[in-house]
Amino acid sequence: MGDLPGGAALLALARDVLLNELMPLLPQERRSDALLVAKCMAIAQQEAEVPAEEGQAILREIELLCGQGADALRRFAHDLRLGAFESSESHDRAARAILWRLAVAKLRQSNPEFLAANGFD
Amino acid sequence: MAGTASPRSEQRRAAVARFLAFASAARTVEITGLSPLGGGALQENWGLDARFSGGTLDGEQRLVLRTSAATGVAASLTRVQEFAVQKAAFATGVTVPEPLFASEDPAVWGKPFFIMRRVNGIAAPDRITGDPTLDPALPAIGERLGRELARVHTIRPPGPDLAFLAPYADSGPIQQIARFRAYLDRHSTPRPVVEWGMRWLETHIPPPARPVLCHHDFRTGNYLLDGTLLTAILDWEFAGWGDAHEDIGWFCCKSWRFARPDREAGGIADRTPFYRGYQSESGVSIDPQRVRFWEILASVRWAIIALQQSDRHIFGGERGLDLALTGRRATECELEILMLLDAERNFADG
Repeated sequence: MGDLPGGAALLALARDVLLNELMPLLPQERRSDALLVAKCMAIAQQEAEVPAEEGQAILREIELLCGQGADALRRFAHDLRLGAFESSESHDRAARAILWRLAVAKLRQSNPEFLAANGFD
Repeated sequence: MAGTASPRSEQRRAAVARFLAFASAARTVEITGLSPLGGGALQENWGLDARFSGGTLDGEQRLVLRTSAATGVAASLTRVQEFAVQKAAFATGVTVPEPLFASEDPAVWGKPFFIMRRVNGIAAPDRITGDPTLDPALPAIGERLGRELARVHTIRPPGPDLAFLAPYADSGPIQQIARFRAYLDRHSTPRPVVEWGMRWLETHIPPPARPVLCHHDFRTGNYLLDGTLLTAILDWEFAGWGDAHEDIGWFCCKSWRFARPDREAGGIADRTPFYRGYQSESGVSIDPQRVRFWEILASVRWAIIALQQSDRHIFGGERGLDLALTGRRATECELEILMLLDAERNFADG
């Protein structure tokens, strides 16, 4: 149980102060650095807010496809390299669905604007 | 910092002045300005103003000194090799800043570098693709870029001055995929989407092409516009023998469209003017299917480069926000790989 405001809320506040109060005081040549700092804070904030359940659910789907055991993500990647799912239409479809979920889940955390720009909610 | 030159920077200026005087056969060279230029994620570029007395560059000159950053990515040429490539491009009539001299003598700058003329213009891709006042001129610039690229591709192996470039047999798609996989095998985080993309590429490799000199980073952000005039194609550090469609796919790859993903040719135009410029200059027809292959490979390659860039921050001792954030772009490439492969599947299914 952490104190309030939580980490994500503190980051959101700090980012707001940076962009809206400190940025105008910075010399022009350092503003691009400040924008990068704000971008880092946004990613950290979004990652702190996303529940861990989604990642766990994707891992369970991978284990259903590749079998249980250590390092399921690496085994999944290795199987994809070998084309292990290509001989079964259902496995192929399941693998593709997982890949989409993986990519979308990661971008939802780190770059939701990019997802939206590409037509994802 | 202006006005507080350190003894080391004074030594550097003196060494560069001596080098320039020797290389240009000048009686004397006075360095009147030396400061880092923006841009260049992998190399350092220094604006260099100098006053030459006598020799081949007599008078005031605005130059660039280009040298390597502290760390780089594996595929990059050395600066002296890049100088040779840029000379070959310049000799072929490609719009590049004239390369003048190169040196590997550590006594001058501490590491290899080359000197080229400085030309006016902006490279900032968000400005080029996002400034509506440029819009009317952009299709013509796209066509001009197609012509420029076609000129680059007139350089073919064996180039007597480019013998250091790896033979095409070592740099084709199979070899690139093998290198990407070897990199991922050493990487801490598996990338299933990239693996999926590479598997598709491996099973759809087009017939071999007659190799040409590829720029290998020909994209918006690597050329200069002075107003609406194209003044330079920059950053030849990844050049090598390759398939001409490789550069076309890279230019059109979604990652390089910046503010205008709807404009498929580098975020500045439809493909039509860019292809028209290329085809009219080269007399070679562009094969859209082959471009699609290279566009998918472009997304895979950019994902790998993005990870390598963040490695420079994480493992290479080169602390930097931009490097750290670049690694995050790998996931953007992965979304693009998935979208391209779904489109490809739909295309194949009719």
